[in-house]
Parts: sequence; C-alpha cells; structure tokens
Amino acid sequence: MSKIAYINNKPHEIVPGETMISLARRALGKDSIPTLCDAPNLEPFGSCRVCSVDVALEKNGPTKVFASCHTPVAEGQFIYTDSPNIQRLRKNIIELVLTDHPLDCLTCEVNGNCELQTVAARVGITDVRYPEGATHLDREKDLSHPYMTSDLSKCINCYRCVRACDEVQGEFVLSMAGRGFDSRIIKGMDESFDDSPCVSCGACSQACPTAAISDVFKSKSIANTQKTRTVCNYCGVGCNLEVATAGGEIKGIQAPYDAEVNQGHTCLKGRYAFKFYDHPDRITSPMIKRDGEFEKVSWDEVYDHLAAKFKYFRDEFGPDSMAGISSARCTNEENYLMQKFFRVVVGTNNIDGCARVCHSPTALGMQRTFGTGAATNSVEDIKFTEAIMVIGANPTEGHPVTGAKLKQFAMTGKTSIVIDPRRTELARYATYHLQLRPGTNVAVLNMMLYYIVKEGLADQDFIAARTEGYEDFCEELLKLDVAAMEAVSGVDRELVRQAAIAYATAERAMSFHGLGVTEHSQGTFTVMQIADLALITGNIGRRGVGVNPLRGQNNVQGMADMGAQPYQGAGYLDVSDPDVIKHYEAFYGVDMPTEIGWKIPQMYDAALQGKLKAVWVIGEDMVQTDPNSNHVRKALGSLEMLVVQEIFMTPTALMADVVLPGASFLEKSGTFTNGERRIQRVNQVVEPIGDSKPDGQIIVELMNRMGYQQPDYDPAVLLEEISGIVPFFAGVKWDELGDNGKQWPVAVGGQDTPILHIESFKRGKGLFVFNAFKETEEVVVNAEKFPYILTTNRNLEHYNCGAQTRRTANIELVSEDVIFIHPEDAEEHGIQDADMVCVESDRGKVDIKAKVSDEIKKGVLSTTFHFPEIMVNDLTSSISDSIAMCPEYKVVSVRIRKARKVGTRA
Amino acid sequence: MSKNLSDLTGRKGVQENLFTKIGELAANGGGTPSLEELNRLADEFLIGKANIYGTATFYDFLKPENQGKKVYVCNGSACLCAGTQDGLISDLKGKFKEEEIGHMTCLGRCHENGAFHYDGKNYSALDKDGFESVFKGEGKNQDDYAVGSHGHAVLTAPFEGMEVYADLLKTALAKDSAEVLEEVKAAGVRGRGGAGFPMGVKWEFARNAKSDLKFIICNADEGDPGAYSDRYLLEQRPHAVLFGMIIGGYCMGAEWGVLYIRAEYPESFPIIESAIEDFRSSGLLGQDINGSGFNFDFKIVPGQGSYICGEETALISSIEGQRPEVRVRPPFPAQKGLFNKPTIVNNVETLAVVPYVIKNGGAAYAALGTEKSNGTKLVSLDSYFNRPGIYEVEMGTPLSTVVNELGGGFKEPVKALHIGGPLGGMVPASKIDELTIDFESFASGGFLLGHASVVCIPETFPIMTYLVELMDFAAVESCGKCFPCRLGTKRAHEMLESANTSSYRIDTELFDDLLHTLTQGSLCAHGGGIPLPVRNALQYFEEELEPYFTKEVSHV
Repeated sequence: MSKIAYINNKPHEIVPGETMISLARRALGKDSIPTLCDAPNLEPFGSCRVCSVDVALEKNGPTKVFASCHTPVAEGQFIYTDSPNIQRLRKNIIELVLTDHPLDCLTCEVNGNCELQTVAARVGITDVRYPEGATHLDREKDLSHPYMTSDLSKCINCYRCVRACDEVQGEFVLSMAGRGFDSRIIKGMDESFDDSPCVSCGACSQACPTAAISDVFKSKSIANTQKTRTVCNYCGVGCNLEVATAGGEIKGIQAPYDAEVNQGHTCLKGRYAFKFYDHPDRITSPMIKRDGEFEKVSWDEVYDHLAAKFKYFRDEFGPDSMAGISSARCTNEENYLMQKFFRVVVGTNNIDGCARVCHSPTALGMQRTFGTGAATNSVEDIKFTEAIMVIGANPTEGHPVTGAKLKQFAMTGKTSIVIDPRRTELARYATYHLQLRPGTNVAVLNMMLYYIVKEGLADQDFIAARTEGYEDFCEELLKLDVAAMEAVSGVDRELVRQAAIAYATAERAMSFHGLGVTEHSQGTFTVMQIADLALITGNIGRRGVGVNPLRGQNNVQGMADMGAQPYQGAGYLDVSDPDVIKHYEAFYGVDMPTEIGWKIPQMYDAALQGKLKAVWVIGEDMVQTDPNSNHVRKALGSLEMLVVQEIFMTPTALMADVVLPGASFLEKSGTFTNGERRIQRVNQVVEPIGDSKPDGQIIVELMNRMGYQQPDYDPAVLLEEISGIVPFFAGVKWDELGDNGKQWPVAVGGQDTPILHIESFKRGKGLFVFNAFKETEEVVVNAEKFPYILTTNRNLEHYNCGAQTRRTANIELVSEDVIFIHPEDAEEHGIQDADMVCVESDRGKVDIKAKVSDEIKKGVLSTTFHFPEIMVNDLTSSISDSIAMCPEYKVVSVRIRKARKVGTRA
Repeated sequence: MSKNLSDLTGRKGVQENLFTKIGELAANGGGTPSLEELNRLADEFLIGKANIYGTATFYDFLKPENQGKKVYVCNGSACLCAGTQDGLISDLKGKFKEEEIGHMTCLGRCHENGAFHYDGKNYSALDKDGFESVFKGEGKNQDDYAVGSHGHAVLTAPFEGMEVYADLLKTALAKDSAEVLEEVKAAGVRGRGGAGFPMGVKWEFARNAKSDLKFIICNADEGDPGAYSDRYLLEQRPHAVLFGMIIGGYCMGAEWGVLYIRAEYPESFPIIESAIEDFRSSGLLGQDINGSGFNFDFKIVPGQGSYICGEETALISSIEGQRPEVRVRPPFPAQKGLFNKPTIVNNVETLAVVPYVIKNGGAAYAALGTEKSNGTKLVSLDSYFNRPGIYEVEMGTPLSTVVNELGGGFKEPVKALHIGGPLGGMVPASKIDELTIDFESFASGGFLLGHASVVCIPETFPIMTYLVELMDFAAVESCGKCFPCRLGTKRAHEMLESANTSSYRIDTELFDDLLHTLTQGSLCAHGGGIPLPVRNALQYFEEELEPYFTKEVSHV
C-alpha cells in the first residue's frame, strides 16, 4: 500500500524516507518551496530555514514549523507550504539577511541570476525595517587567483561552498571561522584563494547562490544566456558541460546537475581551461612547408597537394607505405572516418592511435580474459561497492571527477587499496597502500592472488560456473616464491596479505586502473591479473564490482571502438580473419587489406627502414609525448611526407610537411565514448576559428578528392553507417542519445548496458592465465649505470603535452615540470628544493627542477611531461609491453646529479 | 556537520582526540595554538587546514584573541545581577593589563559571586584578603554552599562508597543487558538537560542501532549561567555519574564513555579522574569486565569555552574537532553520532540517578515525583537567597517551598526569577506561588523548567539591562549556522542596546516579527528558546519596558 501525505490539503504519494521538500518538488514542481542553503548535489543542511513549512497532524489542525529540506515526511501529515505563518517567517528571515547584504543588485555580476534576489522577490520584501547595525559589507574582494574570485561582502553564510568543497570535491579548502554573527568563510587558514590549497574545481562557485564566490569568467552572469550542452574533451571521465555563449564567444562553463556522469561537478580543466579555443596560437589555415618554411595555402590547394601525394605513394610504393594515426581527442565519427580512409580508400591496415601509448594493454588484456576490452561497470557503481582497489592510477589528478568520488569513498574508511609507487592523494586516505617499486605490479598482484587462494577465499562457485583454466593457473600460482616477490617489490607480504583478504572478503569490490598498470613491459599481463582478481573473487557481472580502467583521453575508448588499431577494424573485428574481411568488403563494396598493419612503434621502425613513406596524424604530439623523443624525431624526419592535423603548432606539427587546421571540440558535433562505454553527444558551441574545419569534414573532403564518395560530415548520418558495422552500436541513433548518452552495447531498439558480463562473457568463460613476474630489460640492462628509477605521471592542472592547458590560465597555476626526489636521495646528491637536477638515462639527459618529497620512496624519482621546454621523453626508452606494444613510460633507469649551471633549461 | 570530517577525525579512535590535542596546543601556546601546529594536526588527521582553523577560531579559549589572557572574570547572569564584577575587574586591573583580563561565562559560583578564574583555578573574590591571597598562591579554591533535600534524597544522598557501587555494578553486569535496560525504562527517568526525553528509550534506540562501535557521552558542559547542579554532581558525586555511564554503555553496547566537561569547571577534572581510577582499581573498566564480555572505558574531553556545545549535536561535533555547529536531525545521534557511530548523550544529572535505579529498582524511582515527571530534581539557588545552594526536591514540590523553605527567602526584594538558564522563562515574583517544580507545571505556566537553575533579578535591577545582557549572551554564543539565530540575536541585541542607551525606540511590530522568526525558524533551542524570557519580560514587566518600545503599529 502506498503511503499518503497532504500538501496544502491535497493527497500525494510519499516515497519512504524522503524529505518534505523532496515530496513538494515532485508534487508541486522543483521551485515550489524556496530555499537558499539547499543545492542539488549537497546533503540537507538546514541553515537558511527559508524552506520552512507548517505541518499539522490533521487537516487545518494545529501546526508546527519544520524545515522541509531535512525533515522526513511521515504518513498522514498535512504540510502547508505557504500558510500566512510561513509567509511571515520567510519574509522576516530574508529581511534579516538583507540587513547584512549590499543592496547593489544592479551592478552585481549575478544580477538576474541570484538566488537571494529571486527568493527576496518571491517573499515580497519591500524594505528593510531594521535600524542601522553592524555589517560585513567592508570585506575585501579576493582577486588573487587565476580563476577563483570572492567577494564575501555578498556572502549569506549558507555554507554551500564549504559543503561543495567537502561533499563533492573532498578537498576541505573552505570552512567557516569565528562564530555567530561574525562567522565568515575562509580559504585555508584565512588565506587568499591563490595561497590556499584550492584545486580550482569551481564547485564552490557553482554552488554559491550569490556572487560571494565566483570566477574570473563571471560564469553565473545572466548576460550569458545562450547555453549549449556538450562533453568535455580532456580526460575519459566524460563530464557534461554547459557552455554559455554570447555573440558567438564562449563566456563560461558550468556543470549540469542532471548529468549522470558528473552531477553538477567538473574539474578546473573542464570548467575553466577552455580559453585555448580562440588563443592566437590556433592554426587557422592549411599550410604546406616549402623550403623549410610553412606557407599558408587554400583548402583546395592542400587537398590537391595531398591527394596527389597520397595517390603517388599508394601507386608507387603500395598502400602499406602510408599510415594514419588517429586521435582520441576526436569524435567517434571522425575516428571512424580516419580508419575508413586508410582501410577503404588507401587500402592498408596501417592505422593506429594514441591508445597504443596508454590503454592498449587494457583492451588486449581484458579481451583475453573476458572477451571485451572495456570497463565492465560504471563509475556510479562506487555508490554500491564495499571495497575499491586503485592500481597505477592517480585519479584525483588525472580523472578528477571520478577521483573525487573515489576519495569520497576512501574517506568513509571502507576498504580502499592503493597500489602505487607514489603516495598519491588517494593513498593518503587508503586502508592499504602497497607502495611498490615501479615495474613490479605483476609481483604484487601475484602475491595477492596467492594469498586469496591460500586463505581459502577463492569464490569456488563462481570459478566453477563462469571460468576456465583455474586449475592450471592455481598450480603455477601456488609455486610463487613469495619471499622473492616481497624482495623485488619492496612491499611487506603481510600488508599484501591483509589487502588481499580485504578485497576478497568484501561483498562487492571494484578495481580501477590507470597507466601505471599498462605502461610497462608486463602491462597486458598486469591487466589480466586484475581481471583474474575479479574472477577469482566473483567480482564481475553485478552492481558495484568489476574491472574499470580509467581511460586517459576523452575518446580513447571510442577511437578503439571505431577501429583505430592495425589488427582490429571498426567494432574490434579481427582484420586478418577471412570472414571478417568478407563482411567488411560486403559493407564497403571495396577490396579490403588482409594483412595486419603497423602499430605506432612499428611505424617508427618502418620509417627508419624506408618502408613507410607518409604518415597522416590527427591531434597527437608524438614528439613530446611518445617515449624516446630522439628516436621519434629521427623516424618522423625520415618520412617523405608527414601530415599533421592539429589546432596548435606542437613539436610534432613543426616537423610536418603539411599542416591541416582542425577544429576543437567546442567547434564541432559528434559523439565521445567515455571510460565507462558511455556514448555521449558533443554539440557544437561556436563556429570553427579562421579557416579551420571539423576534422571529420577534412577527412571527408580528402576522401572525395581521392575519388571516394563520402557524404559531408554529419554525426547523425555517420552513426547510422557505424551502427551497421559496429555490432555494439547497433541501436545507437543520434536523436536518441539524449543528454546523458548510452552505454554500449546498445541493442537494436536502444537498450543500453551499464554492466557487462552479467550472464556470460563475450568469450564464453572467463580465462585464468598465470604470468610470472619478469624484471624489465630496462632495469636488467641499465641498473648498474643508472641506479635510480624514474617514473612519469600527470598533474591536475595540465593535460598530456599541455598544448591546450598551457594556453589557458592553468599555466599560472603550474608553470613547469618538476622532478620529485626523496629527501635522503636529495641529501646524498646535495640537492635542495628548487635546485636544477640533471637527469640522465641511456637515451639522453634533461635538466629539471627538484621537488624534495617523501611522496616517493628512496631510489625512485617521478616527473610529468606537460612542458616542451623539458623533453622528459628524451629519457624514456623504446621498451614496450611485450604484447600490446604500449611503451614503458613508468620505468626509466636514470642517474642524477645537481645540474652544473642553474637555469640551463632556459 | 561534515560526515567526512566525522569519519576522518574518528580514524584514530576517541583516545587520540583531535579536539583535545588542539586544546593542549592552545594551553602550551599561551592561549591559542600556532598555525604551524594546527597545520601539522590537520595533516595528521587528513583534514583541511581550513577545518582546524575554523574550529580553533570558534572557541573562547582557542581563538587568537585569547592569546595572553591571564585572568578571566565570570560574566554569568548571577554574578551580573549581584553586581560584584565591576569592582572585581577594577581590582584586577591593578594587577593585570587590561588585555590580560578575559571573560568566562559562569564559573558555577552563583551562590557567592565575585567569581574569577586564575592560573587554572576558580576563586570568588569575597573580601580583600581572600582576593589578595589568590595572587600569593594561597587563595581559597574551595567554595562552600548549602546542600539539602526536600522529600526523598536520590542525588544528594551520601555516597555509600566504592565497594557498594562495585557490588551493584557487578550484579548488574551479571544480568542480561536487556533486563537492566528494562529496569531503567521502568524508572521513567526523563532527561534533565532540558528536553525531558526518557533516558531508557534513548538507550534502546542506540542499543538497536547496528554498529561495532558506540559511544555514551556525558554532557558535562553545564553552560547555563546560574546553574551549578551538574558541577555539584561532578565534584561531590562523581561515582554516581560514572556508574550511570557504565550501565548506559552496558545497555546499549557502547565501549566508550566520553565525559565532555567544560573548562570553566577546572576543579571537576581531577575529581572525575580520581573517581575513574576508583572504578579501574575495582576491576570495573577495560576488557571483559568481571567476565561479562562487556568492554568499557572512559575518555575525558575538556570543553574550550562555548555555550552551544551543550546542545548534543554541537557537542558531538566539538568532540570530533569540527566546528560545534548544530546538526540537522535525522540522522539522530543514536543512529549516527560521534564519528558517525551510534551515540547517546546524557546530562550529568540524568546519569547520576542510575545507581539509585539499579539499587532500588525502576519502580522505586518511578514512584517518586509526579505522574509525568518522575523522580527528583536538583535546583541551584543564587546568592539572593538567604541560603543559596543546591537542593534536591521531588518533582511536584511547590516553587514556593524551594524559595521560602529551602532557600530561606530572599536577602532583598526580588522582582523576577530567571529559571532554567538563559533560555528558561522569566518568572515574575507574583507567579512563584503558582508553580511546582516539574516539567508540566512550568510548561503550562508559559515557562520552562530546564535545568532548574534560579537566578534572581532584584527590584533594583532594570529588566531592560537584563534583556540587553541576555541577548548579548545569545548573540555571542550563537553558533552562527542558522540564519534566524545568527542574524536575529545580533539584531535583537542591537535594538535592545540602542533603546537602553539612546532615545531610540524599538519598533514593536518588528520586534515581534523578530521573536517570531527566532522561535519558529531557528535550527535549535538556542535561537528558538531565547524569545521565551524576552516575551515573559514583555508580558510581566510591560510597564517597565514600555518607554523602550513604539506603541503604534508602524508597518502594514
């Protein structure tokens, strides 16, 4: 039987446990009860009391006042939302608020979009009757920060900012100081935004109902009325963004509260780092390098030039003399077109993408164990899990919105296992931090698997019903030399045992992994171990479990889905399988290449051998971000033609023979697929800058110039084509994706799939395979001469090569790469904080500024490679994963010394 | 009210208490902790430095302004009405710089006044010699007051000795905890902190909450100026309070008893500590007490000067080291309290009746007092009585009996009694004969029994001045979380102050609106309760207050 309560004497069904305001919003509309302290993504707080309602136990009976935001509704109650008593109360509360609020609405940045203004108008304030009293109107503005601003004279003490910083971002930068009338918002220990530990996520600014906390873009200004919803182009979380424009110019970005991915939250990159889009450095026209100089040319000229060249290479050296590198920054439709161009128009499988250097081992490893190389579950499942394991990932920096959710989880004290050489932010809060030596993931994970079996915690029912290969696996596993693994990894076996028990005994456990898993010589094996851990504990195919790779780039998932790899075409179909070839040929009506193509590292080798003549790369800066930069430069330099389609003149673009101006994500439409397989609509916000064009349109026009008929770039039309060839896109239609997208596989009819492997695996049964730890050649060969291990990572403020973020005010927050050195190592070399350190590997050397920190263990160094001024990848090696060929960015044998001259890098 | 902060500060358990550590830093830092030390603590507890700074700036004895304070003068309402403090301050100025003299709100010496705090101890400046001796290190720290009872003595009955308590406890712990709880419920003890909620029912809520860790907290933050009955129990009957906590812990399955004792009662600390040792040496604390399988121990957490910490959710936040801002309910502390674990907060006086209930049975206690207000009540009388002190009366005893028989009448003419703390009603002398000491009588008379402290307002003391001071207290002690209280108490104080010192007249309708907003809108009883004595004053002292208010209705 449903339960009934009455609002203004009308009966309404109630949901058990819901608050009065929740009922009222459902029954009477979302603004039916005014409030100032309540916000969609925050816990009820009860400070403003404006949402008060009268409640009686019988119709028109004696009433008592309750704050509707935090009072649960009970059966049979009579709630009066606008009684004279309540009207009086609300009006008087607002009048009190206005006694300490500047009445400068007309000149206020949120005029017309201020919640206080709205509520004041609604309750009917005509004047403030109080005599002059103490106020806080003389508080000074804080304009110290590149993004965040505050004018606390406008603060109404609703705590929404404090709560957003705590409950959403989990950062605790904001609090209140003092008490009573004089209590006031503080940042850090009463510092400026710039001096505080603020991570610039902007959650406080979006939460603030007035202009007390805002940003330099005045994002809440009503003047920015044109809003376009789209998807962020930085990491693989896939935050929905609401972009405000005026006069064709982007004014600011907010995060929509109804976004299933990010629920009104996003990070400083998504929210604030958009000013790259109209930066003067944008490439605005096609260019051909003549006599070493780039010359601006027309599209017609460049198309003629390229079509002629491509035809020449194809006819003269065969289709395999050409290769394409597609872009995880581009849309699914564009990636589809790029691989189609190479396979169908040129006739080669030489197509790869940046997944090669990040999550290729994830795709391969998970395909081997499960049959599907993608996240098994959704980020939302964090709400349902009881344990998390985060391996080789620093999501609070790399995937900030998911990172914030994981941090929120870890803070509750529930089982959180972090396996990472660095004491990351999550590691600080984790129950178990297994701080291993870089390169020993396999050793530690085998220890975990070993203890799970030894402790009798393997889920025998699940293993029997859903897996194969367990007996052989176990036989090998139980031979494990635990003492040797302990020694090699540097992680206490008892700690590993405890973590293993905690993971295995949790009713539901989720794992998350990042590039600290994949970018190793044993990357694919590590992914398989993570998958084995899920299998052995039955953590697959349910809510709150699974293996969840944190995909690095906005559309790296989609790029692979669309076939931007040399061995699998669109939909991961094996391009060497005769049946598949027939299937593709029937679909495209052309002869398809039959040989597996080159992966990116193989392309470099082929170029150096003279076999590869021409490369067309979209949106990737290999020179700065691929390992062993000298090797990359040499390879690219030996090509006959390098075509770079970019938005900025990156180090790679500078080496190009032809440069094509692509469009940023803000200037085109399409779909991105996030790390949880969610296909979301990217909607064009502004027109492409200068003569630049959506990358898809450039590909289409070149296809046409090459004689292949392809209709103009239109995501809706392309999705129709894609749904015909990519099995898991069968039911994807542009018009049906809605605001929050769909998680593939999407069946014909439109049903999507938040959780994979519920009944069975793509490959039938989950496969256990034992892989033993093997020391990387990098260490075996170089350890003696280069005794330190350098590992590379990312920071929050910058994204990958930094081409975009360095062209935003993020540069004011972090302006250089630094190297982390353990205090004892620093002391040994006489290195102090901010000293320049010369770091040398077998490949090269760089000078870089030191940051002395015990976040890493002795003997380990860590740095980022966001800045071209320091080519950290001059140090990294060409060693890569034995199967997926993902480079080993995470283990570089180096030696260090204090740099002879300070500031040599300039 | 941050769930995250509750979890994080609870990671080290109650033993490694963040709030206590901040207090120690302040004590060692000349009255306020250094920013570096606070930063280090924030790191240690994985919380934001803003949080810890926010906490430190909230409390009188932690905030930066407390730096260098050497002596604190009581500014509680009893000392105020007694008029002793102006002279005391001027005497102190002869010995200290002005900036070295601070305030403490009620040292619980309402029976003799002239109270001040120096070098970690409380004194009363009763005469010149006594005053001078304090600074020679020979001051009389001990105060004397009458203790008596009317009818059956439960709380003031002589302590029978640790052995009797030990036997009683061991017998109780040998029984099923459900059985013990039934006895407590049968006694029908209603909370003495003010709300009057049945203690046994509260314990049952916590008992039914599933958790591996639970807490029972003794609210010994007797902040009501004029009240010192808890101080009496803490210092004179500490074993009874601790006994009650152990039984409470047993009934609900709590392993920890936390005593939150206000710093204004420094003498209570060593007494409670010593009583805890009595229990420990009798084998009544620790693991598997007397083979019962029950584990229990105590932790003392000193307050740092904030009235709002007497509100149970603020008190919980305080112990956690969060800003003691009142929380919304639900969740109730019995579901999610200290460190997000099921928690019961009981007042000192409520807990102190437990030995009686355990010894004599619930029915024996229930038989005392009135039908709805069981048992006895301590009443604290201030120095306007001929026999000031602590009196225990059975519920239902006429107020006049307390005033005239126990208190021996007034020393000089009194026009009103402010009963039940600052949020209690202002009872005009004419109403004394109509009231009896129990929850119902006071409520139906338009007053509040509260903690049953009695502060006399003498004929000579202007009601307006009393209201100004009262509202100042309300504003200063407001936690600042809810809008009505943060802004309303301040504006009310400004208007009262202005009317009292200038020709300004308070807009009657506006003032009525303001009191309505406070009463109806406030999150807790602080803002919600302060209008009661004000309205009592407006009703019973209309003539005296008339000159300060406009007569006409000024606004539509």
